[in-house]
Amino acid sequence: MLEILHPNISNNNKNNIEINLSEEKIKINVRGKNKEFFTKVGKILSIILPSESNTSSSNENYDVLWLSPDEWMIYFDENNITNIFDQLYKDISSLNFGSITDISSQLICINIKGENIFELLSSGSPFNFEKFKNNVGSSTQTIVNHIDVILHHKSKNNVNLFVRRSFSEHLYEWLVDSSNFV
Amino acid sequence: MFLINCPFCGERDQSEFSSGGEAHIVRPKQPTELSDDEWAEYLFMRKNIKGIQFERWNHVHGCRKWFNVVRDTSNDKILSVYKMGEKPPVNYK
Repeated sequence: MLEILHPNISNNNKNNIEINLSEEKIKINVRGKNKEFFTKVGKILSIILPSESNTSSSNENYDVLWLSPDEWMIYFDENNITNIFDQLYKDISSLNFGSITDISSQLICINIKGENIFELLSSGSPFNFEKFKNNVGSSTQTIVNHIDVILHHKSKNNVNLFVRRSFSEHLYEWLVDSSNFV
Repeated sequence: MFLINCPFCGERDQSEFSSGGEAHIVRPKQPTELSDDEWAEYLFMRKNIKGIQFERWNHVHGCRKWFNVVRDTSNDKILSVYKMGEKPPVNYK
């Protein structure tokens, strides 16, 4: 049985696919539509929210994923925490310019690295990874092994997969198991 | 299985979507003035035609947005996709 409370559980299989499970990321869900919302987020994070579907924006501190036309997810390492949630909440949520929610406890990040990672994901997903795997920075929401996931193509052959905590153990075990067969 | 072109995310497999039934059903302005039959007609009765049908779909495993689809139910061919609030394409009426 996998102990999901353990950060940084990793598995390196015979096909050189490395799968790491980590809780050490802060994830913030941001929603909004109006001009003030975009201005405030841009000012606080020093980043422009991606407006094109299935894309992301990054700087040295944050990664921002497009989730829908008025919804994004920001994630970053816990070590870089600088009260960013409080700042966003104070300047946006409390003034009704948009909605800011800390979803760090809701989602678990599974990092998958290796040459055959897209074959691994394709084996359990209806999503067409052709375009996704050729574009570093792509993001998408889809299903893997019947489970809702958010995928971020962080760098070449390196994908961060976000999954709900309650499904993470099952999905991790499925990924580890399936990686032996791709 | 068929593909649906989500107006926000692009072409995705049908398994990522959930059907919301017939589109363009308008809620009566004065429900209290309707007879039971008229209210039941609005609430429960839906077309189930073989041919071109206007439907609502939700990209439930993606962007979670609702949109409208024109689908030929005889062969599951998606003829048109348009956002909520947009007028349906006239050439399929």
